[in-house]
Amino acid sequence: MSAKGLSDMKFIMDFQAQRHWDWKVAVYLYGAGTSAGLIFLEVVLRNLEMIGATTALYGMWIGLGLALLSLAFLFDHLGPKARWRFLYVFRRPRTSWISRGAIIVTVLVLLRLVILLPSMPGFEGLPVGEGTALGGVLRATVLLFALAFMAYSGLVLSSWNSIAFWNTPMLPMLYVGYSFLAGMAALPIVGAIAGGSHEVGLVVPVVRTHLLALLLVNALGLLLYIWGMASGTLPCRESVRRLLRGEQRWNFWAGIVGVGLMLPLIAVGAALSEGSGWGSLPALILVGACLAIQIGSYLLRDAVLRVGVYGQPV
Amino acid sequence: MTQWAFTVDLERCVGCQSCVIACKVENGTPPGVHWMKVLEKEEGEFPYAKRTFTPVRCNHCDDPPCARACPTGAIRKRHDGVVIVDQDLCIGTMACMTACPYYVPYRWDGDGGYFGEQLTAYEQEKYARFNPGTAQKCHFCYHRLDEGRPPACVEACPADALNYGDRDDPESRINALLRQKKHFRPKEELGTRPSLFYLTGKGGGTISGGGSR
Repeated sequence: MSAKGLSDMKFIMDFQAQRHWDWKVAVYLYGAGTSAGLIFLEVVLRNLEMIGATTALYGMWIGLGLALLSLAFLFDHLGPKARWRFLYVFRRPRTSWISRGAIIVTVLVLLRLVILLPSMPGFEGLPVGEGTALGGVLRATVLLFALAFMAYSGLVLSSWNSIAFWNTPMLPMLYVGYSFLAGMAALPIVGAIAGGSHEVGLVVPVVRTHLLALLLVNALGLLLYIWGMASGTLPCRESVRRLLRGEQRWNFWAGIVGVGLMLPLIAVGAALSEGSGWGSLPALILVGACLAIQIGSYLLRDAVLRVGVYGQPV
Repeated sequence: MTQWAFTVDLERCVGCQSCVIACKVENGTPPGVHWMKVLEKEEGEFPYAKRTFTPVRCNHCDDPPCARACPTGAIRKRHDGVVIVDQDLCIGTMACMTACPYYVPYRWDGDGGYFGEQLTAYEQEKYARFNPGTAQKCHFCYHRLDEGRPPACVEACPADALNYGDRDDPESRINALLRQKKHFRPKEELGTRPSLFYLTGKGGGTISGGGSR
């Protein structure tokens, strides 16, 4: 189809699901939230000396890469015809959350690059490393912008009252929670990439209790969100129906709840009761559970987009 | 100052889709892009079942959510109240499509016409006005308004269900209709203040919106 929007809708007065923001936007929202969550936790945990310098550095690079990758999906969604006109996106931060998000992500990416500069050949002497005054200010600013970006990934949906299922403060809160969850779950994966057994051995004991808490908090958040929407207006209830019993039911029950919450809960529980050394079964399972959390986290964004229905236009 | 507005008489609309075709012919919108729609709804049960018809298009809201959502400022209101898309500024974020509670805007990606990849001469001429990858929506036929002619949909309506006029002129046709018939604005509770009034029932005065949201 050459047009996007409700171009294939029948001319019938009924609820219409939005279809123009598809899986690419879901990837962007997931990547944006997760990268912001990862960088937030990486800065905080490194400051508390709970994770090693190698994991912190790799976390910063991987977070940056994830943010850039998700932005690439967004540009692809805009289409090749947008070309350099995408720079116009900064024009309306006073009213548009997309414009605000563009500014936040640009600042965040630039800050990350500045923080990462000392790790690149030729820039070792820059006074922005850990322990320097400027480095401290930069990292504090990164925390602020990372938090703003996590919230943005939900606010960009909840700010409009056209789609009732999104138009609730619960959605940004849920997305912030999921960003922290996916960010925390990214740390063992980053550790495995960064330094294998040694780094994972350091990260797993730090992560597992926090992961358990985040899993429980987000499960509760998801329950409250769905519960609240189930008692909302007609379009809200239609969205909930589509999510729980309609075309997105497999995504929700098997993906978001099963893979994204229940499996990790069981795995983290097992990791808590067993040892944590690399090569031990619980540590391997925990890394697997962290991958499952990423899948669930993406599917949440995807399903929420897909079940967003407009109310009747009159 | 002129403030253009529409009225749609729901008791007169017979669902003939003349306005849809007139809009297509006038503006040459590509396949899948409908600036004007007439939505059908079945109501009641046999033997009292009936179909109702509701023409839907851009409402040219006084406080358009599409304009607020647009990150580039491509959507703006003209001095006469018409909401238009500046296709040179639009980058196709589709924020307007999400923000519009009447799901009016489309994005046209510029490939193909009604008869396949090869465009007819008519399509070539008409599609040249649209930038691919940008938002498209009803612009109140402002090119006709500026010439003192009615919008194509209004002119084509055989049942006199569609009307337009200046809200600031007490003697205008639509102000007369608003005095004669009960009316409501779509989803007024959302605060968009649409410049479109649905008429239904005699006697003038407003009907509180009955939208689902």
